[in-house]
Amino acid sequence: MTSLGAQLPQDTSKVKEPVEIDFLFNYYEQEGDHAAVTGGLGTQELTDRAGKIVVSVPLDSVSRLEVNTGLNIYSSASTDRIDAYLSTASARDARFRQYYTYSRKNKQKGKAFSVQVGGSVESDYISRSLALTLSKTSPDENREFKLSARAFLDNWIIILPEELRDTYPVWMRTDKRHSYSLGLSWAQVISPRLQANLQTEMVVQHGLLSTPFHRAYVQGQNLPKVERFPGLRWKLPFSLRLHYFGGDRWVLRSFYRFYMDNFQLFAHTASLEVSWKMSPFFSVYPFYRFHTQTAAYFFQPYGEHLNSASYYSSDWDLAEISSHKVGVGIHYAPLYGVLRAKINLFRRKAIFQSVDLRGARYLRSDGLNAWLFSLQAAFQIH
Amino acid sequence: MKKTLCIGLICCAGFLGCVPVRPWQKMYLNDEEMALRERKLQSFESNIEGYREGAAGADGGKSGGGCGCN
Repeated sequence: MTSLGAQLPQDTSKVKEPVEIDFLFNYYEQEGDHAAVTGGLGTQELTDRAGKIVVSVPLDSVSRLEVNTGLNIYSSASTDRIDAYLSTASARDARFRQYYTYSRKNKQKGKAFSVQVGGSVESDYISRSLALTLSKTSPDENREFKLSARAFLDNWIIILPEELRDTYPVWMRTDKRHSYSLGLSWAQVISPRLQANLQTEMVVQHGLLSTPFHRAYVQGQNLPKVERFPGLRWKLPFSLRLHYFGGDRWVLRSFYRFYMDNFQLFAHTASLEVSWKMSPFFSVYPFYRFHTQTAAYFFQPYGEHLNSASYYSSDWDLAEISSHKVGVGIHYAPLYGVLRAKINLFRRKAIFQSVDLRGARYLRSDGLNAWLFSLQAAFQIH
Repeated sequence: MKKTLCIGLICCAGFLGCVPVRPWQKMYLNDEEMALRERKLQSFESNIEGYREGAAGADGGKSGGGCGCN
């Protein structure tokens, strides 16, 4: 997908678009001391290796089919403690997901739509999703409006903490979690060097919104409760993205989001990235992100919940926290590709188009910290 | 909340006062670094931020559902 403002060729029926294949890999490791599995106190050591393949095939001059397949393999010391007694090794789990997207555009009218279906599976969670996106671009291509709707029909495979499996919580009447979102986006060219995007997204979720194997300890009691959230949640984020091309070599990419929900959680997120184009084919981009949020009203640290509370969680992801993320990335995309090869069997040409590397350090105010490393290799087949 | 609404309205007003840009003036806007979306490689980080923070959405990534996250 091109950025707003890209020029389209006049006679698109004769342009043969290539098949695009992206390989993406990510390594993530974190440590902290507020595991929700053990009531908000305990190791959060976790490593995650993720891979994703995105294949985009042109069906004709106006439509494409994209298949997005991903696999995460993670090991977590805290997941190992769903059972009260320690096992010999940290628990391992995997998550597989696949999404299919059909998109079609009418260049004369400046309209486009896409439909996506897909889902994911892991040992304790199954997800199915359906999404629809409609967009309209102005005749001068200086403005674009987008409307998107998405539904997730998920369900838990309920696994309770071992010591609580004899007394199933009476309030846990469903294993389902349904989420619906409606997004609006307005992209606008402001000047020959500046363009922006305003976006909002209304989300409603209902069902089992808590995590069944998370513990919450009440004051003065040794036996924990199963974490409990309200059965309904709405979310309302607003964001502004502003991109500016300065001089001949650098691009400033900025982002701000304000968030609020009915858990009384308010958040501000801001990020800044400066992309320095050392040559037309090579750029380096340092980046920084800051996030701050208030706590959900039913959050309490370990052992501080009242017995009379209707809802309770010691998951520090919902606590009053702030975080910093700093990192750097590089992008290398030579004009004729990194490598080229002929595929004689199919009379096609394969081009290793570009490579991206990215590393980041994430620090959260409660002590959780993480490293992230990512790699992308993009190919085209003509 | 009122402050945020005011800022949003000012942004919208700013959008309406834009300079019309002709196709031959879009050499900088067409650069791939100027694309108004997060980078493909950022999707992993966005997912992790969705897990580790209570806020999500309006960034092209996850907003709720699809995982056992918040």
